[in-house]
Amino acid sequence: MKTRRRMPRILAGGVALGLALTLAGCGDDGGSASGENEFTVLVYGDATNEVEKKLVAEFNKTSEVKARLDTIPGADYQQKLQTIISTPQAPDVFFHWGGGSIKPFVDADLLLPLDDFVKKDPGLKDNFLPSVFDASVVDGKAYGIPMRGTQPVLLFHNKKVLDEAGVQPPETWDDLLAAVEELKDAGVTPIALGGGDMWPTQMWFQYLYDRIAGPELFQQALDGDKEAWESEDSRKALGMIRELVDAGAFGDTYDSVKFTNNGSAQLVASGKAGFELMGSWYYSTQQSLNEEFAAEDLGYSAFPAVDGGKGDPANLAGNTNNYYSVMKKAEHPEAIAEFLKLMYSDTFVKDQLSIGNLPTTTNTADFLDQAASPEYSTYQYDLVAEAPHFQLSWDQAYPQSAATDMHKAVQQFFNGGLDADGFISAMQALPTS
Amino acid sequence: MTTQMTRVRPAAPPERRRRARTRTANVAGVGRPGFLWAAPATLFFAAFAVVPLLMVVVLSFMSWDGIGDPEFTGLDNWRRVLDDPVMIKSIWLSLLLTGLGVAIQTPLSILLGVWAAGNQKNRAVLSAIYFVPLLLSATAVAVVWGALLDPNFGVPAEATWLFGDGNLYGEQASAIGVLAFVSTWQFTPFHTLIYQGAARAVPPVLYQAAEVDGAGRYRQFFHITLPQLRNAMITSMILMVVGGLTTFETVLILTQGGPGTDTTISAYYMYERAFRSFDYGAGAAIALVLVLAATLISLVMVRLSGYDKMRSTTEGL
Repeated sequence: MKTRRRMPRILAGGVALGLALTLAGCGDDGGSASGENEFTVLVYGDATNEVEKKLVAEFNKTSEVKARLDTIPGADYQQKLQTIISTPQAPDVFFHWGGGSIKPFVDADLLLPLDDFVKKDPGLKDNFLPSVFDASVVDGKAYGIPMRGTQPVLLFHNKKVLDEAGVQPPETWDDLLAAVEELKDAGVTPIALGGGDMWPTQMWFQYLYDRIAGPELFQQALDGDKEAWESEDSRKALGMIRELVDAGAFGDTYDSVKFTNNGSAQLVASGKAGFELMGSWYYSTQQSLNEEFAAEDLGYSAFPAVDGGKGDPANLAGNTNNYYSVMKKAEHPEAIAEFLKLMYSDTFVKDQLSIGNLPTTTNTADFLDQAASPEYSTYQYDLVAEAPHFQLSWDQAYPQSAATDMHKAVQQFFNGGLDADGFISAMQALPTS
Repeated sequence: MTTQMTRVRPAAPPERRRRARTRTANVAGVGRPGFLWAAPATLFFAAFAVVPLLMVVVLSFMSWDGIGDPEFTGLDNWRRVLDDPVMIKSIWLSLLLTGLGVAIQTPLSILLGVWAAGNQKNRAVLSAIYFVPLLLSATAVAVVWGALLDPNFGVPAEATWLFGDGNLYGEQASAIGVLAFVSTWQFTPFHTLIYQGAARAVPPVLYQAAEVDGAGRYRQFFHITLPQLRNAMITSMILMVVGGLTTFETVLILTQGGPGTDTTISAYYMYERAFRSFDYGAGAAIALVLVLAATLISLVMVRLSGYDKMRSTTEGL
């Protein structure tokens, strides 16, 4: 007591004020993830984040309501999002892969339809390629604004390794099989595969099914027709995958390699493997690992054609784009609308291009020459513009609840744990709605 | 409490001791406000263990994907979980990994612990080094070993005579081997610590007497040290079993339950159903199966080992 009486008034007042402020702070945190005059933006964590950080910093310079960027490292994004989305910790704006992945959120009435934003600023719709914008329309209402780049899956290669083995990027499946033999003879793993992650393995299925049966087979299966998996085309695709794996195309250790810890990318960059099938983000992955390699020796080509296949060889598979959606509970919709407008700004398009991403705005073509690798961006842009069909990745097209079982099935088919019949019944057992 | 008891009446025969236990509170003759003292811990336990457990029981009869409202579906989750071949397999895998853990770690940590209990000059320094893994988070340990065991850029690439092609996560046997090895590396120091403490508590008179009788170092170890460590052994094994059954992060980071479902132990399978497939009902049912199994195993161990009526190892001294 004595000491307290001696304590200078000012100091006591300061302490009291400090306590009060702390308490006020607690109150805020309890209510919502974002503070006063702030909204949170949740993004998939990877090399592209540098553009998003820059964009948020740019936005915060002029805006009264500040944006706060949160990232969740890649592999865990979807389950963390689903876990927090109906809690007070949910972000105000979040990243996703379009249609299928937000359907449950729309059904639960968590998302804000963006049609009002579009009415106020038609540019939010008109400045994007229609096919891409529409991929995030659910039940006739727009729910997402495209926010990264389109990400077709391409067959990447190490130019040096291919040159030394005397191999050309394959145009047909038979070319690929021949290249596998040549590369094996040269003592390198023909194709790097991050089988430990399982989704890279699935890319081989989604492309080969499309080449052999066309997009219709998968669409049928997705619509609930389980017979589709038993069709002759399906068995043919499985037989060809088996042949490729048995030829030793992926080496022996693919299940112990991951893409998410850069293991498979290192294999290609260090010349221990020739090819890798991966989304177009591979360019920025390699760029962040090894700039020199990305600039000089990283080659790419489209997935090879299959003789006699029903699918158009110009078809693509991968992620059509990523989108920002807005939660209904967001407190600052006007500020968020302003933020979303940046997604078609010139700066944003240039920044995305500079790290190898390909935005899907209508003005993208004007800036292609400013891309990190104009050649790479132009190549992709032409592929996307000319593709008759762009197959959304299987694990994104199916409901999220199917993804784990699908991944296990593709992994087990690759390593021989499942035969064709086993794989077919595993796919038939997946939930489709 | 039992040790305290035995100190009060060191030579009490078993029957009398059991009777005495029912009056434990009065033995020391100190009045304690029983409930009031226990209240904070009880409340904490209720709020963070009992209530969630009850909620999990309720959830196991519901269908819920994490958004929207849960719906009651009766026994549906239970029927699915108990019919699921992966679930059955996961229980066997959990038991296998736990068994491996006990079988490998117990002898190792007894030897290390007894050694570390001595008074050699280098002991303090080396013990300190051995205990380092104990200070690291399980996640960090798994990440580090994941990188060290990478087939192309890790140890297996250099030591092909030992690892063959290095496809450690591609075969069931080697994937299980990796998991057992990593948890051994990580947890042996902890159990060593238990044995070190217990070995230090062995009365030196026993060794002196044995030496007089002409018993050599090995006889001393097998006939004095090991029997004296009995209680420590039971404690450490129960901790190993409970820890083994709830192993999770090592699997998540190193194998993700793969190849296929070959290392999908129950705890990981629960996570996979609940947080990856968003089937929280099935996840809750698996969690309960795990709780029941762990409780059952612990009870059996306690019964078989006589842990519940543990006798002091210094009786009669």
